[in-house]
Amino acid sequence: MLARAHTFTIEDYQTRHVSVEVDIRPGLPAFTIVGLADAAVREARQRVQAAIINSGYEFPARRITANLAPGDVPKIGPGLDLALACAVLAASQQLPSEPLESHVLFGELALDGTVKACQQGTLAVAQATLNAGLHTLVLAPERAREACLIEGLEVAAVERLSSAVRVLGGGPPDELPEQARRGPDTPNPTGPDLSEVRGQHHAVRALIVAAAGAHNNLLSGSPGAGKTMLAQRLPSILPPLSRTEAIEVTRIRSMTGGWEGDLASSPPFRAPHHSITTAGLIGGARRGWVGEIVLAHNGVLFLDELSEFARPTLEALRQPMEDGRVAIVRARHSAVYPSRFMLVAATNPCPCGYAGNWERCRCSETELARYRRRLSGPLLDRIDLTVKLESEGALGLGATPLTSSEKARERVMLARELQAVRLKDEGVTVNAHMDVRMLQRHASIEPQAEDLLRRNQERGLLSARGQHRVLRVARTIADLNGSEKVRARDVGSALALRSVGEYAGARAA
Amino acid sequence: MNGYDMTDGRDTAHGRDTADAGGEHPRQAGTEALSPADERGASRACGDCLRRSWLLAIVSARLAYQARDRRRLLALLALGDEELIQAVGGTRRRELRERHARFTREDLHWSAGVQAICRHHPGYPRGLGLAGDRAPRMLFLAGAARRLEELSAAPTVAIVGSRRATDYGMEMARSLARGLAASGVTVAGGLSDGITVAAQEGALEAGGKTLTVIDGGLDVACPARRRALYRRLRATSCVVAEQPCGCETRRWCYTARERIVAGLAQLTIVVEADVDPGELLGAHVAKALGRAVAAVPGRVTSPLSRGTHALLMAGAPLVRGPEDVLELLYNGNPPRRQDSTTIRTNRAPRPTELEPRLKATLELVGIGKDTPAKLTAGSADAGDALLALGELELMGLLSRGDGGRYVPRESLAG
Repeated sequence: MLARAHTFTIEDYQTRHVSVEVDIRPGLPAFTIVGLADAAVREARQRVQAAIINSGYEFPARRITANLAPGDVPKIGPGLDLALACAVLAASQQLPSEPLESHVLFGELALDGTVKACQQGTLAVAQATLNAGLHTLVLAPERAREACLIEGLEVAAVERLSSAVRVLGGGPPDELPEQARRGPDTPNPTGPDLSEVRGQHHAVRALIVAAAGAHNNLLSGSPGAGKTMLAQRLPSILPPLSRTEAIEVTRIRSMTGGWEGDLASSPPFRAPHHSITTAGLIGGARRGWVGEIVLAHNGVLFLDELSEFARPTLEALRQPMEDGRVAIVRARHSAVYPSRFMLVAATNPCPCGYAGNWERCRCSETELARYRRRLSGPLLDRIDLTVKLESEGALGLGATPLTSSEKARERVMLARELQAVRLKDEGVTVNAHMDVRMLQRHASIEPQAEDLLRRNQERGLLSARGQHRVLRVARTIADLNGSEKVRARDVGSALALRSVGEYAGARAA
Repeated sequence: MNGYDMTDGRDTAHGRDTADAGGEHPRQAGTEALSPADERGASRACGDCLRRSWLLAIVSARLAYQARDRRRLLALLALGDEELIQAVGGTRRRELRERHARFTREDLHWSAGVQAICRHHPGYPRGLGLAGDRAPRMLFLAGAARRLEELSAAPTVAIVGSRRATDYGMEMARSLARGLAASGVTVAGGLSDGITVAAQEGALEAGGKTLTVIDGGLDVACPARRRALYRRLRATSCVVAEQPCGCETRRWCYTARERIVAGLAQLTIVVEADVDPGELLGAHVAKALGRAVAAVPGRVTSPLSRGTHALLMAGAPLVRGPEDVLELLYNGNPPRRQDSTTIRTNRAPRPTELEPRLKATLELVGIGKDTPAKLTAGSADAGDALLALGELELMGLLSRGDGGRYVPRESLAG
């Protein structure tokens, strides 16, 4: 007797459909699993056998062969247990086999027949179920909430193997846990707020510009000037994720496991320590390992103390920043992950940290040159905005904050809307991702402003590439001001915010 | 590699046995010109002076030991060969004397394009000649020897100062040098760090000429970060050194270099310096040579202004811009090289010709509101102020300094 059940296995960022075929024929009692199963799947034999018996069903004392098709895909993890058990029950006619064709079964079994949740990839499996045209996903209640995020999919939570048999026989599923019925959570930023930043108006303005256009930026300033403080307040002024972005972010989180159920609403903010390795940042340390840049997808990657990061690690950022995705190729596997993030870096301007403060900085020219060489030129080339922060000093405590996060976020969201409308046919949503072609089409720059840019280039103050960067930022500033055209003052502001070659000035001449 | 060692009676670096020179009396080599060395650019130097350069290279390490005491070092450098050996030779005096007597021109290293000129040659800079024994006997130079003559014949000003200058000092040095070079004054200086390098760059910007003194052999002493500048200077101006090729920089070379810089110039301007003797070396050496010293003022809060302010307190003339320097050089009768009294070099409009808003911004930067943050603090919209900064930078009136600051490129003097 033959039966077939559907499930999915996780392969890096992708899911692969697996059909579990079970054949029972007379012979010496045996239970064989074929089809590139890893250790966790081979161990399923014992779990499935015990779970079936302990749930009060009969485990056929005959020759059982289970095939996991397609045979060339490695199957990983214990998520195939439930499908295997149900296929065995159907093959031994303890369960009708037709419903198995339309259900996806995803879960691990305990020896007593309890269905346990798989830690990783539930959201991806739910998406794949819908895409494969299978209407119901049967899984453990703990992860039901995650699967419910996919609209149009029927989710049946089952606590035990017997409940799964009931569901497949047309019965009702177990009660979903209360929260699972909730939709995506509403953004409720309780993090630090911009109104706590006293003074630093220029830097706060620059941060708002960066947030509005998703521009990569570099915060440079002496110790205690507030670089980290500002960067930590960036999430509070970023607009919430769109539904598509949220699903992408949640899916990545779900792939890495250890994440509890809700749809991500606010953009991720990743701030790895500077001792991070290349594999830690990019990914690929082992199969399924996701790097920080992938976790920062659709959000912010904050690199504090940029000059302390290992040079090769920073160099590795270049290609993902350009492409918005990262391809990790190793001997035994390769995977492509999305990684479109906004880079925020913070650094001291010199080894002592006080360059530009002539009373304090005592770094020699050689020390400065050596310090600046640590920062990769090509990486700095991808940074649109440089914000120089100064210590506000004792006076700063009496200074007033420029704005609050709530107000700033409103402006940012308005600017983002303008961008989205303008760029809707281009496949990008923010100014920072415009290429030269789109820039020419959408910048709509006033003649006066264009003249300013041209004269800068003629005087050798701007390269062609630098001109594009300035124009992108100017476009964002115009969007923030609600202006249709890029005016001279927008370009002027963008020029003041641009990164200068050595990024810090005269002494490196 | 330092080819000049005193570990051995032979010149081991060359692997040549100097005994081959045979029975020729060493002193005879002094007056006659030797043809092989001529091809190596020694035609403008007499044998005695070449011998002196060789001796300096040989006792370089011993001199470094004396470098701590500036006055003693200058006195040592003014000594004759025999007295110098006596003073620093220590236990090796006899050996040194023997090698000194056996010296031939082949013992000196040469590298391509390097020429020598000694103080007995008419092309030797007049300013240095006036310093008598305190000036080097001989200079090695990269670049045409004729150019050295021309450059040292023009009025010459040395611009020196701190090696760790602030961006204010750097811009002041640049703008001074630009203005002076544009009015035909030769700028003298070194090639290490800070003020003096900024001055060389400024002079080049204005298409002017410089006399650059390098501390060590011409082929080995140029710091790697200055190679591009060195090449430009060599092509358009003149780079000189007291030490022969192959002689690495030692501590005494700095003082020796400053004495050449000061000796070449009629006036030494200190742009920015702290009070310690190292920072004020140029000023002290110039005074020791009896040359005039002037200083550029700075902020009283900056440690790097303490030295210049001390000089000003002691009576050094105040320099606010190129005009003041010309005034000092020509005693109020500048030659009519320029129509206007103000020296404009970067085709920027004068601050007085600016639109009111730009002028206001420039003045704000001048009084210390020099970052976008300070300029825009308290105003609701930063756009206009930032636009003004951008336009002023475009006009060449401002440049970017450290820490995001803007620095005026021209002083408001005159």
